Amino acid sequence: METLHPRIRLIWIARGAIAAVVLAVALVALDQWRVTVPALAIAAAVAVALVLAVGYAVRRYQVWRFELQDDALYLERGVVTFVETAVPFVRVQHVDTQFGPIERVLGLSSVVVYTAGSRNADVRIPGLTPDRARSLQETLRELAVESEGEDAV
Amino acid sequence: MNRLHPLSAVTLALQHGATGFSVPVLLVGLGSSVLDIDTGPLLALVPIGLVAGVGYGIAYYYRFTYEVTASTFDVSSGVFSRRSREIPYRRIQNVDISQGLFQRVVGLAVVSIETAGGGDTEATLRFVSEDEAERLRSDIRRLTAATGTSTADPESDRPVFDDSTPSTAEPTAAERTREDRSRGDVAPTLLFDLETRELLLYAVTSFRWGAAVFPIAILVFLGGADSGSGLVPAFVIDAARPFGGPETLEGAAVGPLLVLAAVTAVQWSVFTYVSSAIYTVANYYGFRLGHAGEDFVYERGLVQRYSGSIPVEKVQSVSVTENPLQRLVGYAGLRVETAGYGPDSGSSNQSAVPLAGTDRVYRFAETLTGVETPEFRSPPRLARRRYFVRYSIVAAVIVAAAIGLARVSTFDRWYLTAVVFVAVPPAAHLKYVNLGYFVGADHLVIRSGFWNRQTTVIPYYRIQTVSTRRSVFQRRLGLASLAVDTASSRTFSWGSPTIYDIDLETAREIHDTGRERLQSALRERARTDDLGLSVDFT
Repeated sequence: METLHPRIRLIWIARGAIAAVVLAVALVALDQWRVTVPALAIAAAVAVALVLAVGYAVRRYQVWRFELQDDALYLERGVVTFVETAVPFVRVQHVDTQFGPIERVLGLSSVVVYTAGSRNADVRIPGLTPDRARSLQETLRELAVESEGEDAV
Repeated sequence: MNRLHPLSAVTLALQHGATGFSVPVLLVGLGSSVLDIDTGPLLALVPIGLVAGVGYGIAYYYRFTYEVTASTFDVSSGVFSRRSREIPYRRIQNVDISQGLFQRVVGLAVVSIETAGGGDTEATLRFVSEDEAERLRSDIRRLTAATGTSTADPESDRPVFDDSTPSTAEPTAAERTREDRSRGDVAPTLLFDLETRELLLYAVTSFRWGAAVFPIAILVFLGGADSGSGLVPAFVIDAARPFGGPETLEGAAVGPLLVLAAVTAVQWSVFTYVSSAIYTVANYYGFRLGHAGEDFVYERGLVQRYSGSIPVEKVQSVSVTENPLQRLVGYAGLRVETAGYGPDSGSSNQSAVPLAGTDRVYRFAETLTGVETPEFRSPPRLARRRYFVRYSIVAAVIVAAAIGLARVSTFDRWYLTAVVFVAVPPAAHLKYVNLGYFVGADHLVIRSGFWNRQTTVIPYYRIQTVSTRRSVFQRRLGLASLAVDTASSRTFSWGSPTIYDIDLETAREIHDTGRERLQSALRERARTDDLGLSVDFT
């Protein structure tokens, strides 16, 4: 089983931090316009949010695994709901590599595997080095072509 | 190259002309009333907008062409930015024809062509003549069947239009007969005909939430007539008064307000129910399903007529739906799911048999898919405990909300809401007993839901992805849910068929079974070229 690149934790922590900042701003705004919220409470709430975000990111990284098996791409992920997904190669419609702005700064990229299933069931593997992402995309494409039997849809 | 029916030029011109006219009018109105500026010069835009709109509509008509070629259906459209689209026949999921009342009077129809994926109809021909619509559908069906066999049969590469028949000679598909059965263009054989009794039963037993907008729409439409006290129409308050509702909204106590809310909810539900029944009758009147070659063809509708075809090989899964009322009277419906974007409330899930006797519907489903009679297995009893806890929490939240309300208002009988706890055990039990799954030789059968019980038959070869999901709570109990995704236009994966709360062991087992049988089914199908579905299912 392959794990993600450790640096993905930074992205997830950064995202959590942004959410914490948004929460802080919302609380301060609430304090300003509506009811008085003690500064200590705001600080505590933001601190708790930050700790949760860091814990979540770390745990998420620990749990994330994927593997190319004989017939399918197999993934394990999820902190609150743990999900094991198998995407048979025959069902792969196309494969994208994506580089977001923050990901690019950290030298990471994602592979997105599309199927003909429900739209949000498309699988995204984040936290790959660009080389690994490209090779994975290549491998998946070959496997998808190789196993192409008949028309699914 | 074909154009739309000339009358569509008129409707397009009217439509765009109205837009071109109303935009400047709105701007003028807005400018003078809100911004308080002199809008005199702007008025000149009104005729310009009107003329431009009409011109655009007419230009759109002239720039819209479509063509049935040997291997693709081509549409070019667009006045300024052109778009030409070629849809390969083997990608077409279904072809639908609909006719509104006006269109029926003047003999026009709207043809929509759906392919898999994409959140929208791939091609819409807004207004061709009825005959042309029928001709298109049967041509597309014939050519789709031809491309399907073209790999095996080089003969079918010959020009396909050598035998195209003038549409005036053969007005409807029903009257068409062709000797070439393998081409799929044969007169439809009737499979199912919705009887009046079944239609009425369907109307009475089905409850469409979408119909809840009708009462509101009627209110808005008739609005102002009697709405004395602002937002709430007077009759709502009048109706609640005999039951202890408030005299007026201002300064009313919480108790009477709750009565008002309850009475209004009952009223609304009754109106929704009635409008839903009317909607059902109007939409499913004269429902007929048949098959022509390897396509299902259907038609339905009282005022607005719908007809269409669904290629059997595009059917992803088949499900039997029953709500409690229908179970009580022993009736059920049969739906088929394709990957396209269907005309039925925007989903790809279409009624094959709106309502028929339960036994009959299950027999249909079995014949259609070839699944053995399922012997359902239930999730472990632990699952029921889980639902019991879940619903208890919901009940506790309701009571807590009532307590909260009692604190901030004069409402003091919060303890009455504790009665919701009585509903918890039956709710948990009903949820549990309606869950079931069956792992067949070639199919997976999944049943769930009390209010809208769905029994879905998924052939293994239609599986897209399988996921075993475990929430924190499920992990504590050693349970898991197995989601089996098939090709569809659903946006969210939690709409996909799921076996809820089974043992982790079992879930993993079925997960692997699904994967293995998908592979073996694919090998099997590559060898035998078997559809796996039988068209003649009734």
